[in-house]
Order: sequence, then C-alpha cells, then structure tokens
Amino acid sequence: MSLASCLLLAAALFCVGLYGLLARRQIVAILLSIELMANAANLVFVAFGHYRGGALGQVFAVFSIALTVAEVAVGLALAMLLYRRHGDSRVELASEMKR
Amino acid sequence: MNIALALSPLLVVALGALLLMLAEAFSPRQGGLALGAATVLFVGAAVAGGVWMYGIERLPEAASLAPWLLLDRFGLFFDMLLCLGGGLAALLAGGYLVEHGIERGEFYVLILFATLGAMILASSGDAVTLFLGLETMSLGAYAMTAFRRASPRAAEGALKYFLLGSFAAAILIYGFALLYGATGHTDLAGIGATAATARTPLLVVGAVLVIVGVAFKVSAVPFHAWTPDAYEGAPTPATTFMAVAVKAGAFALLLRVLLIALGDASWTSWAAGWPPVVATLAVLTMTVANLIAGRQESVKRMLAYSSIAHAGYALVGVTALMRDPTQAGASVLFYLLSYTVSTAGAFGALILCGSHGREAVSYEDLSGLGRRHPAAALAFSLFLLSLAGIPPTAGFFGKWFVFKAAIDGGLYWLAILGFVNSVIGAYYYLRVMVYMYMREPAAGAPVALPMRSGYVTAALLVSALFVLALGLVPTRAIEVAVRAATLGAG
Repeated sequence: MSLASCLLLAAALFCVGLYGLLARRQIVAILLSIELMANAANLVFVAFGHYRGGALGQVFAVFSIALTVAEVAVGLALAMLLYRRHGDSRVELASEMKR
Repeated sequence: MNIALALSPLLVVALGALLLMLAEAFSPRQGGLALGAATVLFVGAAVAGGVWMYGIERLPEAASLAPWLLLDRFGLFFDMLLCLGGGLAALLAGGYLVEHGIERGEFYVLILFATLGAMILASSGDAVTLFLGLETMSLGAYAMTAFRRASPRAAEGALKYFLLGSFAAAILIYGFALLYGATGHTDLAGIGATAATARTPLLVVGAVLVIVGVAFKVSAVPFHAWTPDAYEGAPTPATTFMAVAVKAGAFALLLRVLLIALGDASWTSWAAGWPPVVATLAVLTMTVANLIAGRQESVKRMLAYSSIAHAGYALVGVTALMRDPTQAGASVLFYLLSYTVSTAGAFGALILCGSHGREAVSYEDLSGLGRRHPAAALAFSLFLLSLAGIPPTAGFFGKWFVFKAAIDGGLYWLAILGFVNSVIGAYYYLRVMVYMYMREPAAGAPVALPMRSGYVTAALLVSALFVLALGLVPTRAIEVAVRAATLGAG
C-alpha cells in the first residue's frame, strides 16, 4: 500500500468520525466516532513511521491507543451516569442548561 | 541523584497523589484529605521554588531528559503556578464538599493527578509526553466536573466538556501526526528545525490543526462552546481548578508550541505566520465573551465567561510574541499568575457565600451582602476589582504588561481593543458589587448564608495576599517571569 493511499484512508476515517460526532445522537455512537478520529491520527503516525523508518511513529501510536482507551473509559462512565438517570443515553437528554 | 532533584516538583506531587490515594482507601474516617492534598501541592510549589533558587542550570543532568521533559525555568514557573492554583482549589474543596454533602476522598486524588498532568504538559518537549500530560490533566478534570453524580447539570456539563475535549485531543494528535509526517520529528525542537527551512502544505495543515486543538483547550472563541456549561455544572472547586490550572497548562502548551516548534522568523511574521490567527482569536475571545458575560443572571456563569475573556487578554500577549518573545512571554506568564490568584479568589468568595447545600448563584443571592457579612463582601470585591483590572491589584499590572507588550510589538489596534474590552468587562464585575453594597434582598426571597470554613478562609487569605502583593510590588514577579520566558525561548 502506498503512503498516499494510507493518508487518504486516514483522512476519510477522520471525516467519517467527524460526521458521526455531529450527526449521531447516541452517546456510545459518538464515542465510537471520536475513537475513529483518534485512530485516523494513529494510522497517519504508523504510515509515516513505516515510510520514514525508525520506531518513532509506532511508539506514538502505542501511547496514543492506551491514552484513548483511558479517555473512552471516562466517556462510558459519563454515558452510564446519563443512562441511570433517564434509562437512555441520547445526548438531547443532557440539554437542560440554557445556551 | 541530580536528575531526581531536577524532577523533584513532579516527584513530590506524584508521590503525594499515590500516598493520598492509599490514605483515602485505608483510612476509616474521611476528612483531613483536603489538608493533605493542599499540603502536597504547596510543598510541590515550594520545592519548585527551591530548585529555581538553586538554579536548574547547575543540574546539567536535567538536560538528559530532553526532549521528553524540558526541565527549565519555564517549566519550574508553571510548576509553581499550577501547584498554587491546584492547592487553592483543594483548600476550597475542603470547605465546599463538606458543606454541600458530597465529601468523598477521590476529589482530592483527582486534583493531585490532574495537577501532575498539567505540570508534565508544561514541561513536555515532545508530542508523546505532551499528549500524556494533556490526557492526565483532562481526564481528572472530566471526572471532577461530573463529581456531583445526583445533579443532571453536572452530568450535562461533564458530557459536553468530555465530548469537545476528546474531539480537541483527536484534532491535536492528527495535527502532530501530520507535523511528524512533514518533518520526521515528534519533538518540538526537531519540528521547529525542519519547519524553519521548508514549508510544505502538510506542515501548514498540521500546524493549523495543532493550534485549533490548543484553542479548544484554552477555550478561545469560537472553540469555547463547552466552557460555560462545564463551568456551571461542575462543583465550584472543580470549576476553580479548570479555570486556573487547566487553562494555565493549556497556555504553557501553546507557548511551547509557538516558541519552539513554530518560533522561526518565517512563522512569526505577520504576513505568513501564526500572529494574525492568534490575534483574531484574541479579539473574538475578548469581545464575544465580554458581551455575553454582561447578560448572565448567574454569577457563576458570569465568572465562566469572564475566564474566557481573560484567555483573550492573555492571547493578546501571545500575539506579541512575534516581536519580542521574552518580554511578551513574560507578560503572558505574569498575566496567568495574576489571573490565577484573582480567579481562585473570586470563585472562593462565591463558595464562601453559600452553605448547607444552598449555593449563592444569582446576583440576587448576593444582595445586601455588604451589610450582612462585610468580610465576605470585602473579599469578593477585592477579587472582582482585580479581575476588572483596577489598581492596586494584581489584575491591573497583568493587563498593563500584556497591553504594553502589544504596543511594544507595534500592535496598537490590538492593545486598544483589549483596553476597550476591559472597560466593558468592568461593567459586569462592578454589577456584582452594586448588588452586594447597594441592593437589599427582596422580602421573603431566599438568601444564601455564608459558610464558616477554615479551609476556604485560608484559600481566600492566600489569594488576597498574592493579589495585593502583585498589585503593589510587581517588580519581583515580573523579573521572575522574564527569567522564565527567556529560557522558554531558548
């Protein structure tokens, strides 16, 4: 696979994630979208790491995966908080404050 | 051994956080943890001060940790600032959480770990450590925001903060991924060396994404949408922490990125670099936040918008980095210090005005406070005057140095816009004082009663001491800021 096609795939993943973040209403789906965006960035790191040689890109990707997992764990806890209260986890439920 | 000495501020806070976590898990009775957390953080600040006095240059081994951690005076300044801010937030939590029946030990552990993350962020010189510090800081802040689990507003605020925060983090690492692709480096200095010679589209897109990601974290307009809800929904000590430590950590990141990775003359020129971008952010942030802040009915939400506006004033100083990195950098550092003590004090005074599960929220809650509780009103007024930038308080010199840096950099229009904005800002700060001193509470209206708490009083005294000291004799602090900014540039 060439570098350009990897980058194109990563950009497409990032855009799909961005679309999901804006369009989906379930918090779990939004978390998945954010995960897609983060993984698009990891893909760019790994692709450039392979292309440039050396371990730097891969090292960053491993760190980034671990940190994103921790982040999603907190996100799921927040989704649980909303679910316990409303029996559902759509984002509209969290819109009591005025804009 | 010398490495341990150079790292000692980070080590103190890290070990303190672990010990406090153990104490929280095994101690049969709660209480005293606030004192423990505040002690750890103030000791951390003192140790950072000690290393500063001894001279980090005399510890050459510290450089062996570069580029992962840059242990320089810039980092030490932020260690002191962040420990001070975190310590004040811990003291405020000691009064607030007990008074409102949500005292659980995790909060203090979260404060310590989040402060540690911010300190790592402020010292990081590589995308890996930078991201590690950023996430450690942010995860603690998300959890603290949702701390009042029974409150729908807390859940809502935390959710918005989390979603936009992790979105910003994704943008930031995508930006660093592109910078890595363009330069072959993940460390800021390496990126800077390559960015100075060749400018590719990849590099420009990466730099833009990084700046956007950081703008979310400093809550610059138009990336501020999460801030008011998160600040209002969070328990007030968590709000204090976010307004003070998280913002300072994000500014440290911004300064490092702009000075080291994008510090070359081609990037700092007005025609082809980041200054117009940062200047636009500064103007939008000041103006929009000030106009909305004046229309708020909740004092807490007003203070949230005020903290956005203050990020705008600090960005004026950041823009001025294009001409004189040392002076302008020093003005931003001094501004962050004066903003930290004034904001912690203002939120602290708001905390002091509520008790027994009833918080002071609206302007009406504060009416007549000047007659009923003169000490609380006096403390609140001092911090509001400082936020408004009226002498002889820290906020006056904070704004003075930032606007002076803009004028010295030839950015007259930016300084004038900043000045106009601080006049607009004075309106809503003074409005609180009008309610406190010139209004009487309506008959039968619920009136918040101030609490009695040694922790909150101690936090207010420390903040007031700093606000007055910086307002009367700023010379020493500005010298320190200049030394910190000098090495930050080099």
